[in-house]
Amino acid sequence: MINLLLDILTTAGILFIVSIGLLIVFGVQKIINFAHGAFLTIGGYVALLVTGAHFSPWLAPPVALLAGALIGAIVERVIVRPLYNRPLDAILATWGLSIVVVQLITIGFGRGVQFVTSPVSGAIHVFGADYSLYRLIFLGIAIVLGLAVGLLLRSTRLGLVARAVILNENLARSLGIDSDLVRFMTFVVGAGLASLAGALLTPLLSVDPTMGVTWLLNAFMLVMVSGTSLISLMLACVVLGGAQVVISTFGNPVLGGLTIVVLAAILLRLRPTGFARA
Amino acid sequence: MSDIALEIDRLTSGYGQSMVLRDVSLKIQSGQVLAIVGKNGMGKTTLLKTIMGFLPAQSGRICMFGADVTGVQPHRLAGRGVAYSPQDQAIFPDFTVDENLRLGLSNDRGYERALDRVAVFFPFLAQRRGQRAGTLSGGEQKMLLVARALMSRPRLLLIDEITEGLQPSVVQRLIGVLRAELAAFDLSVLLIEQNVGFALSIADRYAVLARGEVVAAGRVDAPGVAGVIQNHLAV
Repeated sequence: MINLLLDILTTAGILFIVSIGLLIVFGVQKIINFAHGAFLTIGGYVALLVTGAHFSPWLAPPVALLAGALIGAIVERVIVRPLYNRPLDAILATWGLSIVVVQLITIGFGRGVQFVTSPVSGAIHVFGADYSLYRLIFLGIAIVLGLAVGLLLRSTRLGLVARAVILNENLARSLGIDSDLVRFMTFVVGAGLASLAGALLTPLLSVDPTMGVTWLLNAFMLVMVSGTSLISLMLACVVLGGAQVVISTFGNPVLGGLTIVVLAAILLRLRPTGFARA
Repeated sequence: MSDIALEIDRLTSGYGQSMVLRDVSLKIQSGQVLAIVGKNGMGKTTLLKTIMGFLPAQSGRICMFGADVTGVQPHRLAGRGVAYSPQDQAIFPDFTVDENLRLGLSNDRGYERALDRVAVFFPFLAQRRGQRAGTLSGGEQKMLLVARALMSRPRLLLIDEITEGLQPSVVQRLIGVLRAELAAFDLSVLLIEQNVGFALSIADRYAVLARGEVVAAGRVDAPGVAGVIQNHLAV
């Protein structure tokens, strides 16, 4: 029972880290960044390169964060910004970009599955159960990240300005807020967080050029049921991620893999705002 | 420094192929108030949106304090001392009073001093800083809107239909606030109004906009102005 509970919590933490960058970009830009999965994959390969070069595995996540942010900055300026007024085209462009990234990674690293050294190994005894230390660390990182982003949005001028753009961009602009700059910064942060998620996932999963695709689908559905709210995203990750764990554990892992997508679709049919406040 | 706060020269603007404003020319001397009156759908809000850079000017020129600002992005105008108070969706209802007011300044430095200044006019703002703006009454929301616009002590204030739906007592209060600011600072105001009484009580000059053109203009203290305006509004 304790193991199941920890599985639910750590899965929610993983989903939260994977989705938060997508949520931030969606909130400000009003577009789904379909290159999110590609940025996640980039993070995975950055971790592969860092550990392959015999640096500490702990170095992989911050390096991935920086690499994702840097590539995100270029993508925003070159691909996304010219399409601000054509959101559908922007979505298609990010989708196209994700295909290009997958192909480039395949050319550079091959199609094969690869593995990254974990910074920690083994289990620890917690609440009477033995549980993966790395998954617990992952949960801790998710909590710290959630608090940090929440604090940034609620308690800083930058957060206030970003929320103003999210809620009413024209009004924000009339108040002197450079919404283009806010869009740029949120895209950079979103891309960086996606790559961070990719690097953090590598001790749990193998690395391959399409590793981002599955996560993109789940992240997309989680953001759809969360609107632009961080709290709603946390709730969605716990509820839908929990359902995934329960179905995978007591039913069928294949069905478990479909759980988030199916439940999110049903939820949106019944309550279009999902977990967000109506 | 130019003594003309705002000069609009033969401005034509609209939405896509549909032109709403045609050859509109207006001028506001520094420290003066110009009231634009007109019936609904005559182009008043379009004029403000074009001045603010939300709509492109098809032709003509907009100058503020001697500088050509035609096509300048809205956020850059705020940096030039322009405050805009739109008619609809003018506050952030999910933000607190404090957060709404903070957005009236370009940064948080000097916030408390600016708040103290506007709270002289609207004491409830200082007492209810943590309250969600969407839970304020309609009149209080309009006062919050004016307070936010005055936070940065702007040089040019653009106000769109501020009195719509307000009780006479609140309108009187706003008149008092604007008069006090006009007397204390070098503030110029472009006022879009349907409330002729309010407009004439505070403006130095007026212009009537009909079908996107200025059809009458002059000083508000000229004889028979109220009748002239009412004639245009009644047709």
